[in-house]
Amino acid sequence: MKYFNKILIANRGEIALRIIRTLKEMNIDSVAVFSEADRASLHVREASEAVCIGPAPSNESYLCIPQVIAAAKLTGADAIHPGYGFLAENPDFSQACKKEGIVFIGPDAASMKKLGHKAMARAIAIKSKIPITPGTNGCVFKNFLQEAKKIGYPLMVKAAAGGGGKGIRLVREASQLNNAVEMASNEAKAAFNNGDVYFEKFIENPRHVEIQFARDSKGNVVSFPERDCSTQRRHQKLLEESPSPAVNKKTREQLMSAAVRLANTSNYVGVGTVEFLLDKDSNFYFMEVNTRLQVEHPVTEFITATDLVKEQVLIAAGEKLSVSQSQVSNFRGHAIEHRINAEDVNNNFAPSPGKINEFVVPGGQWVRVDTHIYQGYNLPFYYDSMLAKLIIWGATRKEAIARSKRALNEFFISGIHTTIDLQKKIVNNEDFAAGNIDTGFMEKLLEKDKTAV
Amino acid sequence: MNVKTLGKITKWMETTDLNEVVWKKGSNKFSLKVNSAQPQACNVSTHSSLVPVNSPSIGIFRFAIRGKSCLVKEGAEIKKGQDMGIIEIGKNFKPVKAQENGFVKIICIEDGKTVEYGQPLFFLEPR
Repeated sequence: MKYFNKILIANRGEIALRIIRTLKEMNIDSVAVFSEADRASLHVREASEAVCIGPAPSNESYLCIPQVIAAAKLTGADAIHPGYGFLAENPDFSQACKKEGIVFIGPDAASMKKLGHKAMARAIAIKSKIPITPGTNGCVFKNFLQEAKKIGYPLMVKAAAGGGGKGIRLVREASQLNNAVEMASNEAKAAFNNGDVYFEKFIENPRHVEIQFARDSKGNVVSFPERDCSTQRRHQKLLEESPSPAVNKKTREQLMSAAVRLANTSNYVGVGTVEFLLDKDSNFYFMEVNTRLQVEHPVTEFITATDLVKEQVLIAAGEKLSVSQSQVSNFRGHAIEHRINAEDVNNNFAPSPGKINEFVVPGGQWVRVDTHIYQGYNLPFYYDSMLAKLIIWGATRKEAIARSKRALNEFFISGIHTTIDLQKKIVNNEDFAAGNIDTGFMEKLLEKDKTAV
Repeated sequence: MNVKTLGKITKWMETTDLNEVVWKKGSNKFSLKVNSAQPQACNVSTHSSLVPVNSPSIGIFRFAIRGKSCLVKEGAEIKKGQDMGIIEIGKNFKPVKAQENGFVKIICIEDGKTVEYGQPLFFLEPR
């Protein structure tokens, strides 16, 4: 059965290509949209058809709702997949699709608004009996010092509409508070057009774990084993793995059932992710919900043998999920994802766009590379610096790390700076091998590196 | 043989060392020559002095808003900034403006056709 005739992908780069691949396997035509800077990208080449929707800056192309909707109407697409980033968590876009009779592959605007607003999401978490980090009840608009005193320092000032590390400030003492509130609020206003902030207790060097869940319109829900995304630099994830080396079976069951409760409480239809902080004593606290497919979804796909994009399409078509909880709970092995970015590590991770002179991709058993670039491709400077994802599977974590080392050594890119060498440093690190990582791990690793030079 | 096939043959010729291809069928004879001195320049050179007017948006092209007549004809004089048509994007309209003074040399769009961003709609001969 064909669920849709043609699906437009409102995104670019590796994720657009990854979605097109699933659509091909499902015998569904795809429409790629692209900006003038992306004419040579692989997602344009691999789609059934492609339309140019605007100039290079994303606010005139990929973020421009009327242009994307027009592209769908003119090509006769009956659904839109937003990928991640850009319009993926924009309720106005979900609403605009609905108004035009186009199926949006993701949750409806109401769910997105509720769960995308961090303070409202916290309220839903409380209702779902999920522990939350101590913090303010909703947003804080005045009496900042009094509110902060109730929670205690150190604390985090967080933008209600925030994400991607924007609009977050750590405050260690009262004297820093007002300044931090102002900065977080201004940053959030600029990025998300909403300057509301709330306070949360700061947990020192926690782990970042998250649970992927999928729920169809019939109310069937499946939650997947946790992903550990503790290897971060300035709130940007660099490496993700599943399962987490720090989570035992009991905690996993607790985390997974928490995600199921949240999906049911909010009557969520689609795939989503609940993010948690995990402290050293295996206590976990709700952090936020992402109402989209995530960059790191392939690690979950590898250990559970599922195709999350396919599940998204099925859910959007009003069909039942094709995976069951028991199938997913009996996951197999260990998966690691390495994000390869076009960045100059020695120059404070400055973006490094330019022409790819040589591009040798690793392969072999249990190695997956998701990328939109190729030899001769000119990496534009307008967009995110991620150029490839290297995803590894192993029967055990040890085997996966050994395979990661092998694959990273095969990966060769010249012409631009990349984070391949940094990824090698991570997998060769003793603490990483032992699973002793928290969100402070990268900082320490980079610091050690500096002193070594 | 149709134009599409001819296009395919010329494309293929560009990938080879061939300069000329002759095709005979009955009394019909086609001869294709690739200008080896200036590869792939044959089209561009004749039009090189012409200035394209590109579509400012994805959408549906109209010569004029309904009820208004169209002034853009081949040979017509166009002033810089003049509207040469409009692009319909849902319920919104975006004018197609000439970037230079000139005469309309080529019209490569039909009314009601779908266009993408940056697609050439007209070619002007600058004055």
